[in-house]
Amino acid sequence: MEITFTINNEKRSLEVSPHQRLLDIIRKDLGLTAAKEGCGKGECGACTVLFNGEPVASCLVLAPQADGAEILTVEGLISREGELHPLQQAFLDTGAVQCGFCIPGSIMTGYRLLQDNPEPKREEVRQALAGNICRCTGYQKIVDAVQLAASRMQSGGDSSWAQDL
Amino acid sequence: MGTRFVGKKVNKVDARQKVTGEAKYTEDLVNDFADLLHIRVLRAPHPHAYLREINVEPAREVAGVVEVFTAADFPELTEFGLIIKDQPVLVGIDQKMRYLGDALALVVAETDAAALRGRDRIELEIEELEVVDNPLRSMEQDCIQIHEDHEIEVTHYLDPEMCCDNILSDNYLDKADVKKGFAEADLIVEREYQTQFVEQLPLQVEKGIADYDEESEEIIIWAASQWLHDTQADIAQAMGVTKDKIRIKQPVIGGAFGKKEDISVHIHLALAARELKRPVQLIYNREESMIAQSKRHPQIIRHKTGVSSEGKLTAWQTEMIMDTGAYASSGPAVVRNAMFHCTGPYQAPNVRAACYAVYTNNTYCGAMRGFGATQMAFAYDSQMDVIARELGMDPADFRMRNAYQPGSTTPGGEKLELGVNVRETIAEARRLSSWREGDNNA
Repeated sequence: MEITFTINNEKRSLEVSPHQRLLDIIRKDLGLTAAKEGCGKGECGACTVLFNGEPVASCLVLAPQADGAEILTVEGLISREGELHPLQQAFLDTGAVQCGFCIPGSIMTGYRLLQDNPEPKREEVRQALAGNICRCTGYQKIVDAVQLAASRMQSGGDSSWAQDL
Repeated sequence: MGTRFVGKKVNKVDARQKVTGEAKYTEDLVNDFADLLHIRVLRAPHPHAYLREINVEPAREVAGVVEVFTAADFPELTEFGLIIKDQPVLVGIDQKMRYLGDALALVVAETDAAALRGRDRIELEIEELEVVDNPLRSMEQDCIQIHEDHEIEVTHYLDPEMCCDNILSDNYLDKADVKKGFAEADLIVEREYQTQFVEQLPLQVEKGIADYDEESEEIIIWAASQWLHDTQADIAQAMGVTKDKIRIKQPVIGGAFGKKEDISVHIHLALAARELKRPVQLIYNREESMIAQSKRHPQIIRHKTGVSSEGKLTAWQTEMIMDTGAYASSGPAVVRNAMFHCTGPYQAPNVRAACYAVYTNNTYCGAMRGFGATQMAFAYDSQMDVIARELGMDPADFRMRNAYQPGSTTPGGEKLELGVNVRETIAEARRLSSWREGDNNA
């Protein structure tokens, strides 16, 4: 069947089969390989993307469900000029990235959190990221990164990032 | 001294590619190959059995299956392993499978679905043997031998009656005179501690791609490895080719923590790519990674400790039995490392230790952060708490009284001169936890 959806502000149409997963079409058909498969069972969060504005485990979403959907991946956070989103920059600056496998998923969850809660407390960041497993960092620096991004975005460093994608 | 980086905050060199999603892990490279074949591995249906017959013809009949390989296709193959070569690439007829991860056949197909269908049609005849899932059983006189074809030399040490057939390696140490130390003790505490299997669980499981260059006869492998050159050498010796025929191109690794020190997808990929002269991929799923690849070793640790009534250690004896699972992997090194940490950061003047790595039919164990020292830490610090309680002493004070200082000697006889910070660590832990003397009695 053919489905049409918007991904990272770009309209795409694809021929998919009913058993394909959203993660497969993003990674294989569209070649957007940032989202990763860690478990294939919705446990690890490495495949997190925003789906109609909400973070989902894209390994648990069937491709046909994406018909008409709006999808955002970490590739879509970079500005046209190639500038990093404050969250990406903050993950870099705080040393929150080690092996990096969980990072695209963690950033997307953090992105959604900051839309609702621009000044999250540490505990709120932990709660939001509870579904994104990281085996390297022990989470401290990931929480630091989300809070650093929040404070930079609050201080109005660059308000253009507040746009709703 | 350089001033560009020392004392300065420097971003990780590849962090930018990782936050943008541009970093290429193995699975991100599959899009670069147009005609990639898929491999699936048929693994052992039983943890300890002889393979008597294997019929792969039903798998060959599945649409999309290109080829099915078994050990019979590669008579030149030898066993592989990080320290001792005891692990088969493929289990052959009348050979043994020793754990559920052993590979019996490789199914190569145009699609993953076809490879899976083919794999599930392979017919087997096996002769089941006793499954040894406990290292204590492994050490009994009447226990079946797991590696009868591997010569194991063991020095009888603490127990001359012990059966050594399933012992991979034994290690022992003596520091001064442990008998004298126990004679001087006012209190002797004996306890047994046990630790369990731990899965390293890197977020990225084992995955790889291989291609074959017919002109140079080189096999190119894209797969994670923590020991690039050891992996290259081991693949080459197992396949009977020279090292220059194996090229490993390391993609970005999604975590390892010791689990990726062992060979996983590499030799299977290399064989299929060379035989079919086409690029192939082998992607484990999480279950396969858990069944087939290494774990942290479970250990049974028996500490016997002598202490004076003033709280000074006089003697420390440790016996440790480590379940190394079906294959050696890093076992001989892990068991040694654990042994030399038997007293932890505490000064014991007289020490004796005997530690055994024992084969079972469990998933083999290998490297994981700490490399044996972690299991021992649980046991010696638990032992210190038990002794403090029996002496009626504050556990932090008791540790302070015995902690290493410059000039202390380890169980292995190494004299410590620099960087001996355990006293500062105990003091800081005490401060941060607001631990006061006598709190343990509360």
